[in-house]
Amino acid sequence: MRDLSDLKDELEKCVRCGTCRSVCPVFRVAGREPSAARGKLTLIESYMKGEIGLTETYLKHLKECTLCGACRQNCPNSVNTVEIFNAARIDAATKNGIPLAASLIFKNLLDDRILPWALKMATRLQGLIFKDSSVEKGLLSRFSLPIIGSGRLLPPLANKFFMELPEVKALSKQEQGSKGPKIAFYAGCGINYLMPEVGTATLEVLKKAGTRVIVPEGQVCCGMPAFSMGDEKIARNMALKNLEAFEAHEFDFITTSCATCGHGLKNLFRKLLGDNSELKDRVEAFCSKVRDITELLVNELDYLNKAGNEKKGELIATYHDPCHLGRAQGLRDAPRYLIEKCSAVNLKEMKNPCSCCGLGGGLSTTNYDLSINITKRKVDNIKGSGADIVVTACPGCMVQLRDGLHKFGVKAKVAHVVELL
Amino acid sequence: MLTNIVKNELKRIVGADNASFSKEDLLCYSYDATNSLHLPEAVVFPATAEEISLILKMANAEGFPVIPRGAGTGFSGGSLPVEGGVVISTERMKAVIEIDPDNLTAIAEPGVVTWEFQQEVEKLGLFYPPDPSSLKFSTIGGNIAECAGGPRAVKYGVTKDYVLGLEVVLPTGEIINTGVRTAKGVVGYDITKLMVGSEGTLGIVTKATLKLLPLPETIKTMLAIFPDLKDAAKAVSGIIRAKVIPSTLELIDSVCIKCVEEYAQVGLPQAEAVLLIEVDGSFDTVDKDSEVVKRICAGNGSTEVRIANDKKEVKDLWKARRAISASLFRVKPNKINEDIVVPRSAIPELIAGLQEIGKKRNLLIAGFGHAGDGNIHVNIMYDKKDPKESKEAQEAVVDVFGLTIKLGGTLSGEHGVGITKAPYLKMELTEASIDAMKRIKAAFDPKGILNPGKIFPKADKAQADRLKEPV
Repeated sequence: MRDLSDLKDELEKCVRCGTCRSVCPVFRVAGREPSAARGKLTLIESYMKGEIGLTETYLKHLKECTLCGACRQNCPNSVNTVEIFNAARIDAATKNGIPLAASLIFKNLLDDRILPWALKMATRLQGLIFKDSSVEKGLLSRFSLPIIGSGRLLPPLANKFFMELPEVKALSKQEQGSKGPKIAFYAGCGINYLMPEVGTATLEVLKKAGTRVIVPEGQVCCGMPAFSMGDEKIARNMALKNLEAFEAHEFDFITTSCATCGHGLKNLFRKLLGDNSELKDRVEAFCSKVRDITELLVNELDYLNKAGNEKKGELIATYHDPCHLGRAQGLRDAPRYLIEKCSAVNLKEMKNPCSCCGLGGGLSTTNYDLSINITKRKVDNIKGSGADIVVTACPGCMVQLRDGLHKFGVKAKVAHVVELL
Repeated sequence: MLTNIVKNELKRIVGADNASFSKEDLLCYSYDATNSLHLPEAVVFPATAEEISLILKMANAEGFPVIPRGAGTGFSGGSLPVEGGVVISTERMKAVIEIDPDNLTAIAEPGVVTWEFQQEVEKLGLFYPPDPSSLKFSTIGGNIAECAGGPRAVKYGVTKDYVLGLEVVLPTGEIINTGVRTAKGVVGYDITKLMVGSEGTLGIVTKATLKLLPLPETIKTMLAIFPDLKDAAKAVSGIIRAKVIPSTLELIDSVCIKCVEEYAQVGLPQAEAVLLIEVDGSFDTVDKDSEVVKRICAGNGSTEVRIANDKKEVKDLWKARRAISASLFRVKPNKINEDIVVPRSAIPELIAGLQEIGKKRNLLIAGFGHAGDGNIHVNIMYDKKDPKESKEAQEAVVDVFGLTIKLGGTLSGEHGVGITKAPYLKMELTEASIDAMKRIKAAFDPKGILNPGKIFPKADKAQADRLKEPV
């Protein structure tokens, strides 16, 4: 992996044309130059030259980014902005340390025993802090909490975590069935702790598709949140632990229903572990087998022909492209094909389906106001489409969209693609 | 140096959240698309003409420079604080105040992004034609200051043809209204036209009354492929001679094709040149005109004329066209970007001349742009780390300008003079006309506080000697 000092040439590729101003979700809300990539790159370059230090303002601007990658994709000169921003965050975290609360969470996510226990306690306590919201499933924080703030719609912790459901535990060492391609399912934190129903729906679809599924035990967080907050070391340990958990089994594909985890497993693992000569081949073997669930169904399992031509009902759905699926993995068509051919809803595109929901890059914790105002633009577009359901393929986006729809009073439900199949 | 009193006063005028003096923020307002950095001493984000007026009055009293800035996407350095001072960003003034379909006018604040303004008026079936390549991020205010053009200029003209009236804060702080909101008007001097293209040196636009047109019924986008660049240039004149005025008539040479295809991958063919042509109007006119265009291209050596079939193909072609300028850096790390104009009929001669200059100086010169109106973007590619190549590139600029003037052209069609062309001003203008311009500047801005260091060359004898005499 290249660190900040290796990226000098990449930084110099920016010619300051300003194209990034037209696509950056943060700039559209904040409206000032330091939020656009051009401003951030200038700051990072000045920091590297020693013209500015690791000042509070510098760090604030570094954090004000969802790492959505729109600037990178639209840059006429192909500056790898996301790589530079990640490297700058790692550089800052290495020198300054990362915030204690975040650091504790990441350390615990590395262990598949401590956090579940702590969260279980939290599940019992959450009624004291949150009140139920009538809008879908969600909790409204009763008073202002550190990091979280008040009045924010958060998904409740699951009563029983996905990895602990009896039907999932039964698949932790050995798959069920005896024929069909063998699939290893990676759950990820969103599905495990917040939305086990998305995990269960995925398992059902995989069964319908005629596969054998295993959910390897010992899997931990993919490392994307830690990495985007600049904690490279923890992210690396997480990657290694996951590698080992999956290497204990044989399978044809690894799949996930989380766009962010998918991007992590496919691309971040390569970056984190790929330059270690001992691990290189192992990582390559792992990464080459990873498929997003929509990609797996459409490209590998011929699901469109197996389960296609679902009768259409009345409901209108619109699809939100998660940044980590559309931009990071180039998967825009597969989820749409599935909705069009294999679900009972009618797909209607919203304006700018690819624009970021506002959650990413840690922005929803470092600057919630900015983050939810990015979501507002998304919510306006959802409203404009007239959809009853927003469909997407990432639990992270689902959390943010539910919060935004609730906050701005739009009555549309949020669902994962697999829940419609 | 700004005193603390001035800084506090700035904060009081615009609000503490809208004035910044931190090194980090100043760095972010130190550049534009020329990619050179000049640090200001403050950046402020006013919301009204009154706030700007107070700042300018203070600048006159205290003697500090004030530099207006839109999106900072200019190619001539118009928004660069070359002498320090206070950058006034219009980023907060971004309201479309009114769209009047009865009178075909609209009123917009300077910070509105041109593309967003166009989207608003198009919802009502109206049309604001100026379309600089930066239209998705540059602002109405910046477009007015530089008199931005664009591909559609061949048929529809440039920004100045669409500005009916302005609210302007003069350098001395008075807020005036210029022009009219009617189709005609001859009362007094035309200060509106004087302001448009004055590069932020005569006033700061705070509101603009803009002229709109009815949105054309339909557009057809075509791509004509030529194995010889000179044939493409001949086809341009041929089309105009056949009395078809396309809404776009863009020439792209082989270097540009290669670079931009690498970026956008829209299937541009490997050819010596392509013409991107659009005709607009009623369905009948468009069908008829596109047939004429096809016939003339074929008659001038075009091997293929493609017609874009759907919105995506049109979007791809335009994405490619707009990205040429920035994607050229794929061949060399540095470039000098000039936007000379010659009479349309002289384009074949210009193209031949550019190729000769490239050969003589051993440089790659990429050409693209608005062939329909004779405005060609000449990009001299070089590596500034190579001293010989750098020197040749600088010399090539003089060659290109010399050729342009010889062909009866002008040094800049739409980028403005700013700081990048100031040293060459005398190649086109006589001492007397430069002097007249300086007197206008002094009448508006006696203390020279508004956007100093732009347009007029600094008295630099060595440089002056090197330049050729005016023709």
